[in-house]
Amino acid sequence: MTSVRIGIDTGGTFTDLIAFDATDGTVTSLKVASTPTAPLRAFLGAIEASGVAPDDIAFLVHGTTVATNTMIQRAGARVGFICTAGHEDIPYIQRVNRQFLYDLTWNKPRPLLVSRRDCFGVAERIGADGEILTPLSAEAIDDLCDRLAANGELEALAVCLLFSYLRTDHEQALAEALRERFPELPLSVSHEVAPIWREYERSSTVIADAYVKPLMQTYVASLAGGLADADIDVNWAMMKSNGGLMNATAAADHPIHLAMSGPAGGAVAGRHVAGLLDLENVVTIDVGGTSADVALILGGEVGYTTSYEVEWGIPAAIPLMDIHTVGAGGGSIAWVNAGGFLQVGPQSAGADPGPICYGAGGQQVTLTDANLVLGHLDPDYFCGGTMRLDEGLAHRGAAEMAAGLDMSPQELAHAIVEIADENMANAIRMVSIDRGHDPRHFALLAFGGAGPLHGAAVARKLHIPTLVVPPFPGSFSALGLLLGDLRVDKLWTQSFRSDRVGPAEVAERFATIARAATEELRAQGFEGECELRYAINMRYLGQNYETEVEVPPIDALDTSGAAEQLERAYQAFGDRHRAMYEYVIADAVIEMISFRVSAIGAIPHPHLARVQPTAGHLETSRQVHFGAGGLVDCRVLHRRAMPIDEVLEGPLIISEEGSTTLLEPGMRVRRSAEDVLIVEVGA
Amino acid sequence: MTALATPPESRSVAADLVADQVTLTVIDNYLATTCREMGIAMMRTAYSPMFNESLDFSCVLFDAKGRLSAQAEFCPSQIGTIKFTVEWMLDELGPDIYRPGDVIIMNDPYRGSGHIPEHTLLKAVFHGDEIVGFVANCAHLAEPGAKAPGGLAGDATDIFQEGLRIPPLWLEREGVPQEDVWKIIFANHRTPKVTYGDLMAMVGSLNVAERRLTSLIDTYGYDTVTTATEDLIGIAERRMSEEIRRIPDGEYRFSDIIEDDGVAEGSYVIDCTVVVDGGNVACDFTGSDGEAAGPMNATYAVTASAVYNAFMHITDPTIPRNEGCYRPINIIAPPGTIVNCEFPAPLVGGNTEVSPRITDIIFGALADPLPERIPASLGGTSCCFLFGGRHPDSGDLYSHFHFEGIGWGGRPAADGNSQIIVINGNCRNTPVEVFESRYPLRVDSYRLLEDSGGPGLNRGGLGIERILTMVADEVTVSAIFNRMRVDPFGIGGGKPGANSGIYVRLAGEEAWSTFSEKFGTMSPSKFSNIRLRRGDQVMIVAPGGGGWGDPLERSSERVVADVAEGFVTPEAAQREYGLVVQRRNGTWDAAPTAARADTGPAS
Repeated sequence: MTSVRIGIDTGGTFTDLIAFDATDGTVTSLKVASTPTAPLRAFLGAIEASGVAPDDIAFLVHGTTVATNTMIQRAGARVGFICTAGHEDIPYIQRVNRQFLYDLTWNKPRPLLVSRRDCFGVAERIGADGEILTPLSAEAIDDLCDRLAANGELEALAVCLLFSYLRTDHEQALAEALRERFPELPLSVSHEVAPIWREYERSSTVIADAYVKPLMQTYVASLAGGLADADIDVNWAMMKSNGGLMNATAAADHPIHLAMSGPAGGAVAGRHVAGLLDLENVVTIDVGGTSADVALILGGEVGYTTSYEVEWGIPAAIPLMDIHTVGAGGGSIAWVNAGGFLQVGPQSAGADPGPICYGAGGQQVTLTDANLVLGHLDPDYFCGGTMRLDEGLAHRGAAEMAAGLDMSPQELAHAIVEIADENMANAIRMVSIDRGHDPRHFALLAFGGAGPLHGAAVARKLHIPTLVVPPFPGSFSALGLLLGDLRVDKLWTQSFRSDRVGPAEVAERFATIARAATEELRAQGFEGECELRYAINMRYLGQNYETEVEVPPIDALDTSGAAEQLERAYQAFGDRHRAMYEYVIADAVIEMISFRVSAIGAIPHPHLARVQPTAGHLETSRQVHFGAGGLVDCRVLHRRAMPIDEVLEGPLIISEEGSTTLLEPGMRVRRSAEDVLIVEVGA
Repeated sequence: MTALATPPESRSVAADLVADQVTLTVIDNYLATTCREMGIAMMRTAYSPMFNESLDFSCVLFDAKGRLSAQAEFCPSQIGTIKFTVEWMLDELGPDIYRPGDVIIMNDPYRGSGHIPEHTLLKAVFHGDEIVGFVANCAHLAEPGAKAPGGLAGDATDIFQEGLRIPPLWLEREGVPQEDVWKIIFANHRTPKVTYGDLMAMVGSLNVAERRLTSLIDTYGYDTVTTATEDLIGIAERRMSEEIRRIPDGEYRFSDIIEDDGVAEGSYVIDCTVVVDGGNVACDFTGSDGEAAGPMNATYAVTASAVYNAFMHITDPTIPRNEGCYRPINIIAPPGTIVNCEFPAPLVGGNTEVSPRITDIIFGALADPLPERIPASLGGTSCCFLFGGRHPDSGDLYSHFHFEGIGWGGRPAADGNSQIIVINGNCRNTPVEVFESRYPLRVDSYRLLEDSGGPGLNRGGLGIERILTMVADEVTVSAIFNRMRVDPFGIGGGKPGANSGIYVRLAGEEAWSTFSEKFGTMSPSKFSNIRLRRGDQVMIVAPGGGGWGDPLERSSERVVADVAEGFVTPEAAQREYGLVVQRRNGTWDAAPTAARADTGPAS
């Protein structure tokens, strides 16, 4: 009876599993400690702990931070970079600007390459109109291959030729020759990985792909082997940074798409819950141990971007869900800068040694310690009681630091929480107010271990009227893995001017891309109905940055209809431009730069079941500090014990296995039948 | 980032603040974030690669009294001058003249602007009927209507050859574009469409800032924001004073040379005595040479901005960047000199070339009292290469200001960065794919130059070489470079970095020549309006940074690593570092020469 769908989210600290049984709709969640040196162990361990029999597993989706960590820790492969002769230094020259002004100690970031000598030029040249200026000769290819062979230390190859986004044949010919000559070396080719203009950004992206590829291929092979050994014979997928699923083998071929695999799950789950509650506009915030990830849902959809960076100045321009990360999490360290200003984060105590209250040797006061000092956290029920927090240690640490600042420990703890709240609010401002979206028209969806703890205060700061805490907030990203669909995104860069192009050409371009996207989706084993989505990246002729505008399918056969659709697309671009920058340029020629088609293969999703409160009130109370409200005797209720659809008043703490929800005095909460907590912030 | 201990004297700083600490932190971050957002809006909507790729612009906020209250990671020279620009505009226009929706434009260097290509837009922000602050941006327009396409005429002899000078004028009144002003600008620029797109991007960026500032005041109230700004300015001033107090009192002198001015023979000395007295510093340029005949002059605002830039770099980077941090820094620049030129002297190169030289001179002067902070000379030129003409595909006129990154000087604790934009800017290069899509020039090669970093215990960063081919029948080119004749200096035994250069090779020729040799320009590095033909090539060489410390003391591991990566050739390793570096059986090894043996054992 294959009826269980499993999502496994491997993070730095915990591996979360969500299992959904389609027969009875039950959802179970669990957490096991991650095993970073041997991820397979926690991965299989979680499945075993779930008690699901191998034969019962119908589908498995995995989200992982392995690709990200490989890049951040610089633990990837030795990459040979191949480019147009004369331009070998692209990865080293970069964009020549500085991350910080006025800092003479700043060092320019190194590319994901071991040596400048690993950059190889090949004699060929394509021009700005896609014309061939210097053909790629067989001799040039042979010469390149000889030089690569002579190097002898390369573990992967990355190819990026100038203007390959306009014309792919040189890269294709080169790729074919390299695959033949070096079959053992993983190969990444820029027009496949990221067909975008700007040679540095494209090069950096294709290098990053090659950099993580050998490791990700090994990783996927090891999980596949582990699953086979455990007699789990299942089609499994991984979540891409854009929230789409990719069959695991395909994932290993284009691993750079896994850069934001972890946080993407949270955003997908957020979108799902927003849909469930009929919320059009939602800000999601996922607060974990080291960082807070913020995403915006507009009109029920998550925004997308291509501005991921491995570190400042080292871009990987892949499509990803527009998730903004700031260094604010439970482990964020409080410190005082040279001017005497209290700061929180971005550095984190991590999981080891962790906050002072973990009692594992942590010496610096963290956000978790501050929350404990204020009574916001229950020392006996952290991670559902699997981990005990030491209140005394946290208190001593806070007292020591507070003494140096002429504050009481509670004042300090309150200031730390306040600054962290503000940092989280700022991250939300960056994706909302700054882009012209007023947070007062949004709901805030908070999850992650620490999200529900800070959500109410963050909402209050931003005048967001409603806070939503979903079911399974502590393993919500794993839930998101089960809520994604298979997805292939195809981008084609070819510029057209609105005064010179007809709807038929646009329609034909879209049709070609759609065919390729559909074929690729089928190749991943999808047999159902494909949904196709179309978008055009547009700008005013003369501008250099595009805005993506979703367009309806343009039908080549219906000439007048297609013309009207194209006109509407131009209109939509103008509207977007005005919303962002408060002006449009009337009568300007619009340039279409690239065309995107997403082929989506819908797969069955879990339904969040209607829940019943557990009989017998799991209720206690404790002393909690609420800023200006001072010390309050606060009611503490277990989530399972909350009545359905009944309004409760703050101050109130709602505890559960993976998280804690904190309601300030005056706020009101209701638990819906879908087990969603809906808090009226009253801002 | 590491947690820093609080020095006892700065703890007291926080004690007399009016606004609470949290509010201060929040408002300071909010204001800086606003500046960044203004920049993103500008980048995404502008037309010229100068804006949207190079980011040659700055966005800043002023309080209702016209004091600079926030900035972000833009061009330091612009941030320094815009303070003077806006002060001048507010002073000339007077109070009570602004209406909501007014946008005022100005670019006159004799009214506080950096040079003519840099245009400043200013908008008053209202909350109710009251002005609660000003938002401004300053950006380098690729085409200011000068005698040469791209504006930086290397042989200009007065300000009138450098472009259309705009006094403070209303570009928009209460949101309505002022057609007459726009028309004058369009009529004087070679590329009016690009000018329009770029100026509209600047207007859009002011709108973003206006929205942000209004929203801040909605949230916190005007009084809190004003109090916090007041506090932040006070904190900045006191912290800058404390930083200066840590420099031993004394007089420190240094000078360097501007090698030529594009018009007359001879070089110019810039001389500065830095007088540190407690928490204040004065930089006295008395003794510097008189005005240059060509465009290598700095206005007072440019000189002051360059001095500020030097002090920002050698003091605590966490000091809030507002009006307050400039207050303890005083500048004495006698009128009629190369560091304070008078109307109508030409000056367009002052902002690109004299500015980084002044910053280097301040560094040079402070190398003795602050040995642990001061780097060797950076390459110190913007490598300004201007070109324009009629595009063969579109038939439209085009015009572009191209520049290069340079090597920065070796530092007390590290090598200099290779290929970073000059210290007075924070611009990006223009990608080859964007460059060739816009202009009829092809980039044949663009590579780091081995051995261009000045040898030192800590090596200078590397320069580049770029070769361009003209692919239109005619391209008109101009240039302003420095460090072609005078080396980027080393410090403490470090050797100089490699020089800059600009060379030409006409179609069919074998050898490279200077523009002086080929076209008889007075200067090989500063000239205007040279007409090149299809197939002619230009080679741009960006200089390296000076070395820091004795190269013979550089560890053999680091020298070997440099040779292995191709930053230093084996020949230079032997000549400069006293090491014979060879690759044998797949590994590199090094043997000291007699020169290194004399200095003691190689580490």
